[in-house]
Amino acid sequence: MGMRETILGDGFYRYDPEGGRPRGAADRPHLMVRDGLLQPALEERTASGICLPGESLDDDEMGGPVQFPGGIAMPVQIERVLGFGRSFSFWPLLFGLACCAIEMMALGGSRFDMSRFGMEAMRASPRQADGMIVAGWCSIKMAPRVVRLYEQIPDPKWVLAMGSCAISGNVWDTYNIVQGIDSLIPVDVYVPGCPPRPEALWQGLEMLRERVKQSRHAYDGLRRIPARDVLAAQTAAAEACAPAAGEVKA
Amino acid sequence: MSALMDAITAAFGARILETGDFRGDLTISVAPEAWLEVLTFCRDNEATKFDMLDCLLGDHLPERAAAPFALVAQLVSHTYGHRLRVKTALTEGQAVPSVTSLWPSANFDEREAWEMYGIGFTGHPNLIRLLTTEDFEGFPMRKDFPLEGTVGGRVRTDLRGKI
Ligand code: SF4
Repeated sequence: MGMRETILGDGFYRYDPEGGRPRGAADRPHLMVRDGLLQPALEERTASGICLPGESLDDDEMGGPVQFPGGIAMPVQIERVLGFGRSFSFWPLLFGLACCAIEMMALGGSRFDMSRFGMEAMRASPRQADGMIVAGWCSIKMAPRVVRLYEQIPDPKWVLAMGSCAISGNVWDTYNIVQGIDSLIPVDVYVPGCPPRPEALWQGLEMLRERVKQSRHAYDGLRRIPARDVLAAQTAAAEACAPAAGEVKA
Repeated sequence: MSALMDAITAAFGARILETGDFRGDLTISVAPEAWLEVLTFCRDNEATKFDMLDCLLGDHLPERAAAPFALVAQLVSHTYGHRLRVKTALTEGQAVPSVTSLWPSANFDEREAWEMYGIGFTGHPNLIRLLTTEDFEGFPMRKDFPLEGTVGGRVRTDLRGKI
């Protein structure tokens, strides 16, 4: 609640001349710049369980040793083993929205070669993917499709927002651009730049791999996603108007 | 001028309001009433044979107070390899006949010109929004449309039923 709700309320292509709208990282209290990348601020991280590279995850948070029937304790943390395996075959969704996708292709090409990390298998179907790289600006007409693609990716899933457009809308503060993809879906790693160099995306993917290894997600335990919250608010608003019609009928 | 321009001026005479030739780029201006007739001629005449509509686009020129909107069609002939630009000037709310019957590719171009500039097309089979959401209001490529900001609910889209 609190901070994040405010951000989401303002960020979702809604213009509020009095209250203003977040325009960049500095205006977004849940983000900060670290290692040249935008990072969620500390309170936000502890709330959502986001971990920075180099930060270790203590064992209590991982749930401790797995107990098997018969009282045998497994000294290995299963999640961590699974995460380790997943991190070496992370298959992103083949999904480019705008010019940033060109740099994503460059990372897939032979010069930067993301297949070194087991990421070259970009799946054309969200049902086969482990996550998505939102590369480029998202138009308002595309927004429901992005949400649909995200929801079709099976759990566990991770999202990387690539480029200023996906992070904040960039200079396209206009009639047709979603002002930051995190107003729709939970984002794990933000890679700024216009477009980011393939190296920057590579660093972002390394951070993502770190999170995959640790089985950490931007979404919370209830798998709530911001677009569904917006939808619920819109439905509630429509229902609040509905009784007026009912009274007329009665 | 070229045989192409000779054929067109011979057929329409004074109804061609203006002709231009910039480094071989031929342009003619016509009145909106002659729009369909001139384009039909361009497609069907033996001397012109414009078998392809390269693009059709709108424009907004607010400094031209009498007719602030322009409609431009770029024609290509694969028979002769020549090109022609046909222009017309429109007032606010003025509609022209659709040319989808001549070149089916005009369908999307006209939808976009209508969506972005509010130029009407009579006889278009499916004149609905192409690039923006259905609940969008306003014509965003007009010069008086706010450049920044999503402007008080104008583009608020309802996600109900969409996700
Ligand atoms: S951040 Fe720059 S390169 Fe990337 S989609 Fe936006 S405008 Fe294009």
